[in-house]
Amino acid sequence: MTGREAADRRRALVCVAPTVLALGALTVYPGVWVLWLSLQHRIPIFDVSRFAGFENYAFLAVDSRFWSAAHTTAVFTLGSVALEVVLGVAAALAIHTQRRGRRLALSLLLLAWAMPAVVAAKLFEWLYHPAAGLINVALGRHAINWLGDPLVALPAVIFADVWRTMPFVAILCYARLLAIPADVYEAAQVDGAGRLATLTRITLPLLGRILLLATLFRTLDALRAFDIMFVLTGGGPAGTTETLTVYAYRALFQTLQLGFGSAVSVVVFLLVMAVAWAYLRLLRAGAVAA
Amino acid sequence: MIVALRRAASLSGLLVGLLALGGCAASQEGGPVTLVFKYARILGNADPLPALLRQFEAAHPGVRVKGEALPWASDDQHQFYIINLEGRSPGFDVMMLDCIWVPEFARAGWLLDLTTSLQPDELAPYFPSAVAAATYGGRVWALPWNFNVGLLYYRADLLAKYGLRPPETFEELVEQVRRIRAGERDPALDGYVWQGKQYEGLVVNVLEAFWANGARILGDDGAIFPEPARAADALRFLRGLIASGVSPAWTTAADEELSRRAFGDGHAIFLRNWPYAMDLFEGKDSAVRGKVAFAPLPGRARGERGVGSTGGAHLGISRRSRHPDHALALARHLTSEAAQRAIALGAALSPTRQSLYRDPEVMREHPAMPRLQALALAGRPRPVTPYYLLLSATVQPEFSAALVGIKPPERAIAEAGTRLGYFLEAVR
Repeated sequence: MTGREAADRRRALVCVAPTVLALGALTVYPGVWVLWLSLQHRIPIFDVSRFAGFENYAFLAVDSRFWSAAHTTAVFTLGSVALEVVLGVAAALAIHTQRRGRRLALSLLLLAWAMPAVVAAKLFEWLYHPAAGLINVALGRHAINWLGDPLVALPAVIFADVWRTMPFVAILCYARLLAIPADVYEAAQVDGAGRLATLTRITLPLLGRILLLATLFRTLDALRAFDIMFVLTGGGPAGTTETLTVYAYRALFQTLQLGFGSAVSVVVFLLVMAVAWAYLRLLRAGAVAA
Repeated sequence: MIVALRRAASLSGLLVGLLALGGCAASQEGGPVTLVFKYARILGNADPLPALLRQFEAAHPGVRVKGEALPWASDDQHQFYIINLEGRSPGFDVMMLDCIWVPEFARAGWLLDLTTSLQPDELAPYFPSAVAAATYGGRVWALPWNFNVGLLYYRADLLAKYGLRPPETFEELVEQVRRIRAGERDPALDGYVWQGKQYEGLVVNVLEAFWANGARILGDDGAIFPEPARAADALRFLRGLIASGVSPAWTTAADEELSRRAFGDGHAIFLRNWPYAMDLFEGKDSAVRGKVAFAPLPGRARGERGVGSTGGAHLGISRRSRHPDHALALARHLTSEAAQRAIALGAALSPTRQSLYRDPEVMREHPAMPRLQALALAGRPRPVTPYYLLLSATVQPEFSAALVGIKPPERAIAEAGTRLGYFLEAVR
């Protein structure tokens, strides 16, 4: 019996080994390396490489550009995720109640979701063009400097992101709606529940877990958002659309400050981990309650 | 982010590998020599480069030249170079370099030192400031290829109509804009357009405003913003141009082309731009043909005289080129008087060789060349330092914040100075 157990354990180890090795090589090793880099002044093209301790982090603590990027990241994440959830649920409900053309509506939604972020950003770059853009041509004399005005640029970027990723939330919710048995609604109708009561008492609570999951995915994506603002504004005007990942990119790839840039990346990593952990706790608490 | 980094790292590894493979395939034993020349597409009526490359091949049997285009934007070109050059196997021999990169690339050890290969007087025909920009640590690292200097374009017809002469100070310019716009009553006519988008062009425009106001980014001793009050004052003046409507609100999103088009469509009285724009204004279907002239950039009242920033492209040779002699021959061919004449005639780029500014053939095509030479000689280079890109990327968002009015100029200068100080501390 014990011999068999030992053999089982060995086989289990052999089976798990490739995953552990792959994770180690692809996640742990680079992660630790970035952490190590962040403790150095390191600019390879100038042969700068010396230990800096926590200097990079200490500088980040007082760096206005870092805090501005952190603020932008927070506003972008909250704004885009909130809009995506509200519009996504609305779109799912609308399609669910639609009698004809559901497939067409779904395909149109998927089209936006399937578009690569850079292509979507380029598309919006043209829509927002100050002189030739469709939006400003339609606005005529009331044209707005979409990507050049520091107050308008971030909302404009958020809108482009919402347009592209709202379908993700909508389709997840729609799938959940299909799985709600019709007799639940019939029972509600028999009990005399109105449309609003049905929505708030039945539909939304049943969507809860899938929404939490969708929100988790979207939040983690939004926290690491890079492509949409990089293409649309490059972080401008005046750095008002510069997120932490764009700041990290500028330091890492534009000026090759590997140490400083790594410190910014480590902060993003910790932020993403903290948010993911909080969501997972929520999900688990939800699972117990259900 | 970590995931993104990892992807980028493995991708660049793959690219380096592919380039290395490409390099191996190209160097067959005893086969013909292939030189790879990296350059940015040239604006203008006709791209003269293919013909110039074929000429070189005809004069050097057994040598083939492959011209490969760089990305369009200057930042992307720089990134292309640093990734490939740091990757040890660049896969190109001769490269077109923005003059601000030369000290950086030389310091990084990527460029072939040309000092001993050049004839003693080989650099004498060039603009001294172009040669200075190709020199770092007392050695020459590149051959100057084309030259740029910031100019003030103005609508000669409009100024003449109101009996005005080109402004010598910015205060005069503002006054002239008021007078002309009051007289023209054309709401679509903007005053002074320039480059205020958050990119390298913004640094150039702000530097010119600094210089006119007696301010610098780097002092001779390496001090950062040695005249902070004057620098802040210059930024406040630029912000004032936008806030008062002398410059349109979209200036904060304008690059060279956007501002050039607005002026070229007849929608502005003054424009700050490089010499290439003149050819386009004189083009057949230009709305301002025959109505445009240029002058030195204005100075400030009670300040210094205006001076344009110099710029331009150099040709450098990769230190890892397998055919350095052929590569140098190609760089010499492309920077020769004949080649620069062809480029000046066929494209809208100004030569680095001074004799061409008085060349009858070039002057027939571009009558303003002698005046341009005088302005080019007076031009001033951006800080010549290996850390220029770091410097520029660091100050850009702060300058931009001051221009759009979300940060007081003093604070923008102070915060740019702090960050620059921390970064430069690390490299020194």
